[in-house]
Amino acid sequence: MAELSFTEEELKEIEQLKAKFPTAKAATLQVLWVAQRKYGHVEPEVQNLVAETLDVPKSHVHGVASFYTQYYKEEKGKFVLDVCTCLSCQLCGGYDILHHLEEKLGIEAGETTDDGMFSIQSVECLGACGYAPMLQVTNGVYVNNLTKEKVDTLIDNLKNGKMPEFESMAMPELEKRNQAASE
Amino acid sequence: MAQDWKSFEPLLIPDIPNLQQIEVYEGNGGYDALKKILNDQNEWSRDNVVNEVKQANIRGRGGAGFNAGLKWSFMPDPDGGPRYLACNGDESEPGTFKDRKIFEFNPHLFIEGALIAAYAMTIDTIYVYIRGEYISWVEKFQKAVDDAYEKGYLGENIMGTDISIDLEVTYGAGAYICGEETSMLESLEGKRGYPRVKPPFPAQKGLWGRPTTINNIETLANVPLVINNGAQWYSDLGAEEHPGPVLYGISGHVNQPGVYEYPTGVPVLELINDVAGGIRGGKDLKALIPGGSSTPVLRADQLEGVTMNSDSLKDAGSMMGTAGMVVMDEDTDMVDVLWRIAHFYHHESCGQCTPCREGTGWLEKVLLKIKNGEGEMKDLDLLLDVGNQMEGRTICALADAAVWPVRHTINRFRDEFEARCKKSTHAVA
Amino acid sequence: MPEVFIDGKRYEFEGKPMLLQFILDQGLEVPFFCYHPAMSIPANCRQCMVKVGTPVKDRETGEFEHDENGDRKIRWFPNPQTSCSTPLQDGMVVHTQETSEEVARAQKDNLEFILVNHPLDCPICDQAGECPLQIQTYKYGPEGSRFEVKKVHKPKRVELGPRVTMDAERCINCTRCVRFTEEISETNQLTIVQRGDDNYPQTAAGEEFDDPYSMNTVDICPVGALTSTDFRFKARVWEMNQTPSIDITNGKGCNVDLWTRDNEVLRITPRENDEVNDYWMPDAGREAYKLFNENRADRPSIKLDGDNQSNTSWNNAIETFAEVLDAHEADDILTVGSPHASVEENFAFNKFFNLLGSSNAKFTPDVIPGAGDDFLITDDQAPNTNGCRAINLDEADSNSLQSAVSGAKVVIILSDDLVGREVLSAADLNDSYTISFATNENDTTNVSDLVIPITCIAEHAASYVNVDGRIQRSYPAKETKYTNRRLNLEMSEGRLDRYGTNFDNWVSEENKVDCLPVWQFLNKLAERINLDFSYNHSRDVFADISEQFDMLSDISYERMDEENGVQLPIKQEEVKQA
Repeated sequence: MAELSFTEEELKEIEQLKAKFPTAKAATLQVLWVAQRKYGHVEPEVQNLVAETLDVPKSHVHGVASFYTQYYKEEKGKFVLDVCTCLSCQLCGGYDILHHLEEKLGIEAGETTDDGMFSIQSVECLGACGYAPMLQVTNGVYVNNLTKEKVDTLIDNLKNGKMPEFESMAMPELEKRNQAASE
Repeated sequence: MAQDWKSFEPLLIPDIPNLQQIEVYEGNGGYDALKKILNDQNEWSRDNVVNEVKQANIRGRGGAGFNAGLKWSFMPDPDGGPRYLACNGDESEPGTFKDRKIFEFNPHLFIEGALIAAYAMTIDTIYVYIRGEYISWVEKFQKAVDDAYEKGYLGENIMGTDISIDLEVTYGAGAYICGEETSMLESLEGKRGYPRVKPPFPAQKGLWGRPTTINNIETLANVPLVINNGAQWYSDLGAEEHPGPVLYGISGHVNQPGVYEYPTGVPVLELINDVAGGIRGGKDLKALIPGGSSTPVLRADQLEGVTMNSDSLKDAGSMMGTAGMVVMDEDTDMVDVLWRIAHFYHHESCGQCTPCREGTGWLEKVLLKIKNGEGEMKDLDLLLDVGNQMEGRTICALADAAVWPVRHTINRFRDEFEARCKKSTHAVA
Repeated sequence: MPEVFIDGKRYEFEGKPMLLQFILDQGLEVPFFCYHPAMSIPANCRQCMVKVGTPVKDRETGEFEHDENGDRKIRWFPNPQTSCSTPLQDGMVVHTQETSEEVARAQKDNLEFILVNHPLDCPICDQAGECPLQIQTYKYGPEGSRFEVKKVHKPKRVELGPRVTMDAERCINCTRCVRFTEEISETNQLTIVQRGDDNYPQTAAGEEFDDPYSMNTVDICPVGALTSTDFRFKARVWEMNQTPSIDITNGKGCNVDLWTRDNEVLRITPRENDEVNDYWMPDAGREAYKLFNENRADRPSIKLDGDNQSNTSWNNAIETFAEVLDAHEADDILTVGSPHASVEENFAFNKFFNLLGSSNAKFTPDVIPGAGDDFLITDDQAPNTNGCRAINLDEADSNSLQSAVSGAKVVIILSDDLVGREVLSAADLNDSYTISFATNENDTTNVSDLVIPITCIAEHAASYVNVDGRIQRSYPAKETKYTNRRLNLEMSEGRLDRYGTNFDNWVSEENKVDCLPVWQFLNKLAERINLDFSYNHSRDVFADISEQFDMLSDISYERMDEENGVQLPIKQEEVKQA
């Protein structure tokens, strides 16, 4: 890998992140995020870049990066599909969705497709229990109330470079009332 | 509890379109509580604010249910050094998805509550720690914070007074344990989320060794309601010992899952049947986890007359937790469910201290064995024993949270577990 | 004075001690793994659990409340508490495993958890025999295991750095090693990586654990997770014997133990001394064990024809030495003492030649400016520079030593590789007859005309004065050809020494070096030349020293032993570059 570095702009962003806290060390999580957005992962070289930028021990960054699951310690697919299989999603068919995806993409959870497009992971509760089953795309948007069809559409869209949009999940009660009022 | 709970008008997330926009919030009485306090700091001295909140008895909505005002009163007198309010938006307990509603639909109510808390405890820096997976909500919330800065509710000389309070938004990167308050402090300091040994408690030594109070997002969103309407009004809402509005997150096998706002003390069965539309496919209710995955599961027959408040749930043999209700129908395989819960706690144990690091994995592995039909009867007692050896022996409560579901699910559905063990070849041999 | 009741017995305490340390200070025992008195308290192993209660006080009067029997009412903590992190309070009542079934059970439960993922490989583990986990499991642990599912697998045989090998499966995550690099050596080279039961200590990717103090983590690891790469599989602990000594590789004089088997020093570990090195020592000091075994000056040697040295008998060496002395005036003889030799060796050496009319021996400090740190590594490369000063040897820099050498016909050097460390060149010694007293062969002995092999610190009792002016002493740890462990009461005996016979295949003569203490050789030489000089033991040499020098007048071996070394009234001088 070539010598890694942050751009002027990124360094400015990092300074702003550091300014939130009384110590540079406190910005470790945030700067790892900046690095992951830039490189798509936080492999060891990236971790060391973060350590050097913040002037904190490399071991510290390594320990932190390996503790938190959202950091990709190795390169992943372009789209990482985090399928929630925890409690409520399990009850509502999260594993069916996971297995459907595995079958569809020909890989198992934890793996990446040969073309580098997709990785699938079975993950813990993402805090969307009322909209189960669901998944998250590359630490970003949530896709809720999944069906096999919805998954198929999602995959097609992603292949075409179309990211799903943020779905606002309203308070159902309020929605009901609003509906009643408009009728 | 008044019988008219169904006509309750939501307070935390009222039915006002675009309330997340600061002008709309202001137009609907937003920031009035803050103004009320800052405009009359004699009447609303810091102590008076703490007392008012204490009397209102807002019980922490993060799971522990501790009186928020009482918690505030533990802060030592200011010594001129920094003091912090750390707001816990890490909600990660399976079954819990309520705080994101506040970030999305009524962020200013929370900001206002946090400001009042900071004022009351002479704090000048607020950190809001949101779980990393909620990046969409982090962005939405950051917008609200920026607006509040622009309008002068945050920053230097708030609304022309000599009070200055900053609010910094930050977020995690995937670790349930960071919802444990001292682990969140470690994470805020940029470290691995290892819970701290208590004492010292955060009020004495919190962020960077300075006095710190940690409150849940929903808890703080209740504060402006108290200031606007008085402690008496607030404590009359809902259940007597556990008053106020609550965001109930209902998920699992119901027709209309989602987050609903009602007072505490609503009958559990009515929440399931009337509010959430009953069980999917016309099936029967089998079990309920009332407040997130760590709260003990209750069988359907244990739910008669139970209401959603800590006392009633305690009598029934469970807890209020985060009011994240997970509903299970008659076809639910309790062995599968329990294994999945155990898997969660095993995955999320930080590994710092022995009983949790080793015990959570042991529990999961034995449950997997039972789930796969390879269990033996002695495994059930082993699970209970391992649980007893973990509970109360660790630095934080994650081990307890891992143990309770195991203990109560086995005890309350023992037949189902025994039947699975009997199927195993070991038992036959 | 505030009081605490432990297992029914009353103790008084001062200040704010933590319960575990207080219990240990009373000579009592509670099992523990993560706690270390020199580091922060993470309370993560959870092993030191005890039952704790505090007396109930009447809120108004502040008086203790009593029950119907007149005993104080005690409010017990609902759960057992980790004693390491529990501050003592006045009136606190404590039950350890000795008096509480509940506590004994809690400790046993915890050990069962620790062993869940710990491999059952004690028979091939270096730590076995000195393993806190093994020992405490025997004493407090469960008899069997109920864990019948798969253990977690982690990296094994990982070279964390040049000197430390890790077996992550044995790790119990006490974090002592990580805290050591954060709090003691401050290199921050280690962290815990991963999460939950996948946790283990590691360096940053691509980084080596080359901390100059790295091997201390091997000592404090309470299991066999971190082992010494060099010592791995060399010996079982119970085969060795352990002798207190001093680190001679720099001026700090770290207190150490020498571990020997069959008169071979196999490893060196630090020995606690709060006044000098706490519990630690630099890695470099541990390498010194090789100096004691390898490349020793063994039997006298003499240059007969040209540059060829060959071994010779002690009789011939003494005869030759005597002839050289006989043939020269005292003024023609230059004696050079050594900061690398002990106080006794320097004194006996100097006294002998004083008696022959020579002036005081010179010595040249061995200092590398900037080599030291603020901790246990010093610029001074020698263990006894201040000891040479204390007995008034003549401190000389390289130049003045060179000119002294050029004016001498005989140069007698005590245990100092002056050529190797470039104080003198080999050519400087060309024109004189050079006699070296030496422990090891080196550049100086190579150019010497006569080499007298002498005992090293591992073979004699002698004292050394460190850079801070503390005098501390060694004990003989390995036998020479002329000493006998069973007759010398100062020597310790390991199992093999005690129960072995000369016919056992683990006992050999080959590790016994043919050498003598300086004073014993000088006795023989004195006898030959009729000089009134005789010391039976280094203790007698030291008695003479303390009689002669005020600063050492009330110092004795007994006092050094009792007080773990004695601070001398020496001003902390800048140690000058020679």
